Amino acid sequence: MRLITRRSIALGAAALFLSFGATQALADRTLLNVSYDPTREFYKEFNAAFAADWKARTGETITIEQSHGGSGKQARAVIDGLQADVVTLALAGDIDQIANKTGKLPKDWAAKLPHNSAPYTSTIVFLVRKGNPKGIKDWGDLVKEGVQVITPNPKTSGGARWNYLAAWAYAAKQLGGDETKVKEWIADLYRNVPVLDTGARGSTTTFAQRGIGDVLISWENEAFLVQKEFGADNFDIVVPSLSILAEPPVAVVTGNAKAKNNLDVAEAYLKFLYSPEGQKLAARNFFRPVDPSSADPADLARFPKVELVSVDKDFGGWAKAQKDFFADGAIFDQIYRPTN
Amino acid sequence: MAMSDRVLPLAHTPERANSETALTKVILIGLAVLFLVAILFLPLVTVFIEALRKGWGTLFESFGDPDTLAAIRLTLLVAAIAVPFNAAIGLAASWAIAKFEFRGKNLLLTLIDLPFSISPVISGLVYVLLFGAQGWLGPWLQAHDIQIIFAVPGIVLATVLVTFPFVARELIPLMQSQGTSEEEAALLLGASGWHTFFKVTLPNVKWALLYGVLLCNARAMGEFGAVSVVSGHIRGLTNTMPLHIEILYNEYNFVGAFAVASLLAGLALFTLLAKTVLEWRFAGEIAATARRH
Amino acid sequence: MSVPVRVRNLEKTFGRYPALKGVSLDVEAGELVALLGPSGSGKTTLLRAIAGLEQPDAGQVLFGDLDANTLSLRERRIGFVFQQYALFRHMKVFDNIAFGLRARPRASRPSEAGIRSRVLDLLHLVQLDGLEARYPAQLSGGQRQRVALARALAIEPRVLLLDEPFGALDARVRKDLRKWLRDLHQRTGHTTLFVTHDQDEAFELAGRIAILDHGRIAQVGTAQDILDRPATPFVGSFIEGIARREAQAREWTKPHVVASR
Repeated sequence: MRLITRRSIALGAAALFLSFGATQALADRTLLNVSYDPTREFYKEFNAAFAADWKARTGETITIEQSHGGSGKQARAVIDGLQADVVTLALAGDIDQIANKTGKLPKDWAAKLPHNSAPYTSTIVFLVRKGNPKGIKDWGDLVKEGVQVITPNPKTSGGARWNYLAAWAYAAKQLGGDETKVKEWIADLYRNVPVLDTGARGSTTTFAQRGIGDVLISWENEAFLVQKEFGADNFDIVVPSLSILAEPPVAVVTGNAKAKNNLDVAEAYLKFLYSPEGQKLAARNFFRPVDPSSADPADLARFPKVELVSVDKDFGGWAKAQKDFFADGAIFDQIYRPTN
Repeated sequence: MAMSDRVLPLAHTPERANSETALTKVILIGLAVLFLVAILFLPLVTVFIEALRKGWGTLFESFGDPDTLAAIRLTLLVAAIAVPFNAAIGLAASWAIAKFEFRGKNLLLTLIDLPFSISPVISGLVYVLLFGAQGWLGPWLQAHDIQIIFAVPGIVLATVLVTFPFVARELIPLMQSQGTSEEEAALLLGASGWHTFFKVTLPNVKWALLYGVLLCNARAMGEFGAVSVVSGHIRGLTNTMPLHIEILYNEYNFVGAFAVASLLAGLALFTLLAKTVLEWRFAGEIAATARRH
Repeated sequence: MSVPVRVRNLEKTFGRYPALKGVSLDVEAGELVALLGPSGSGKTTLLRAIAGLEQPDAGQVLFGDLDANTLSLRERRIGFVFQQYALFRHMKVFDNIAFGLRARPRASRPSEAGIRSRVLDLLHLVQLDGLEARYPAQLSGGQRQRVALARALAIEPRVLLLDEPFGALDARVRKDLRKWLRDLHQRTGHTTLFVTHDQDEAFELAGRIAILDHGRIAQVGTAQDILDRPATPFVGSFIEGIARREAQAREWTKPHVVASR
């Protein structure tokens, strides 16, 4: 290896590096939305719609960058310095963490936007194989002998905690609140889980792509998405008699947005989620809009009515639920024994 | 290892090699081949088959996606910085370790091995702890508006750390086995330090260096764990090819995922091919530098 | 060209192990001296200290009037032949021998034609005509040894130092080379020191012999001096084999002089 060639490589690298930085600096403003896993498809459409709307209103071209991952992991990244202008996560607790650890957004962030800063909601449903060969109708069928249930690990996955709490709410109602019996029922349920993935997308791939399991406990939007991606003739959606209301919250990370001179566009971005167009796009991407009036009726028809419990009312809020169920040594650790 | 094809006097096969040992030989070779096919060859073939599942058209379409192009560009950029850097530093470190006695040499050797022995995820986390907003240098970096993690510099740093041992690990054993007498001879013959390094030390290890660089490059382009931790996963900006493959896979875009994977695998295969061609082309010279007098 | 070498009270310690404990030695210009001793006696350390490859803890080395400590390795102009020859394995024989000439600063560097004729002369001197395009790996042990010698002579050294010059060769080749080296020394007249652990080699080749024992010089003298008057019991036992053979040889074929110049 000659010195000359090495030097030219280094020069080339430096030039590439500079040009890379330069394109960043020359572009119009960019907004970074740090979000969780199942919102990828929704925000892809929504970002295009918002950029068009912003352009029409202000004449400015705005680029929106997306980052997706597990909700807790994404919150951690923002705490560690990922320059998010807005966060659109799965759990309010994750945004609380950012507020507590960095002070980059006010502790009462949830009061800044309507409906506790949750512009869309979702719930937990079952996805089964076409024709529902195991005849799964409700939570009670999941603890039956010979039924394989796919759900991620509630210790690592936000979505898995919703699954767990929905199951718990059903069991508590059926068994009249006898906690010992409820615990046994939940233990039976997790005994039917052959593999605990670390995240919701991992479980979905296990079920849909690798063909493992009879039923996937899943976000409603995720279940619809699987039908869309893998063909509606492969999977059926089963809505249980009782489920849980998930309210994925959104917030402007004021500290970052101010530093990047993006505050106005960040606030407008989140407001646009509540606009008729934003709500319509949410419904189209299988999220339940908080204001259904402007959504496409055909989209709304896909969301069946279901009795919903809420974390705040029925479990005393996320902080308490976390402590009761998912902390180290709490109920989940007590009941879960890996089968292999 | 490139230098292991040192010519050794082969023990003469004893005449009494009977059918039993021949059978054992066939079974062992068969097992090894079966193992290689199952563990190495099949998965590699699968990558290309999956990529072509919907035809060449879809495959090429996947490469037109701006996020994919950005991931390819970023991966090449990171490798273009990390590999020359590690080649230079690895060469310097190996030289110091193999040719000089100094205090703390064993510590340096251990440090060089460290990236091999710790999980890449930890390597990434180290940088988060150091440069993250809550990390030691976080406040200072923020005050000066310098972004290291969740940006290109962090990805480069993580890659440099993880791929650091490759060049040094190739060079140190060879340099140690070659000893210092050729350098001493050159110095006594009147050569300067630099002259000695470039005319004696470097040519003696150039094949090991090349091999180390190739391995380093393959890993730099393929690194997932450490980069994943410091990337921030911003599409079109901080996703390298391996990270982008995971994202495409998770978005049910299997053809896209395998298309990028096949490109990555292709780059690795090209690397190996380049190494083989060079070894074949310069076989005589390699044998001359590898053999001890 | 040749200069005397004077070693004054050299001390050298490796860690806690003393290798040289106050060694003094005078070598006259053009003389051929053997450093003889068992392994671990400090003979190689002494040779390397004279070359400048080891930094002594105390003491002085003089080349003529020049204090070696004030000279860089390049300025010392030492011809050194390593035990394993240390030929540059990636260079052809020609480039090995030319290395010292090409490494010179531009001002004093000969032209390529000058280098070429000098290298071919040296190859002729060491009787390796026609082998300039070979790689060291393609040579026999004896041939490599002579290439190493030619390479050392190329820089017109003040002093020639050889570390176990025949150590890596088989017995037959050793004998031939020994004779050849003595002839060469007589023709070129370099002040020469060589290290050996082989009594026969030292006695046959050297004008004078320095016997080392545990980092000290036990005795310096001609072969005859040492055989006649071993200075210490160690010297006596170390050369016992030679002395016995010498006595036998005297009985059978008188008169006979061993290892004289």
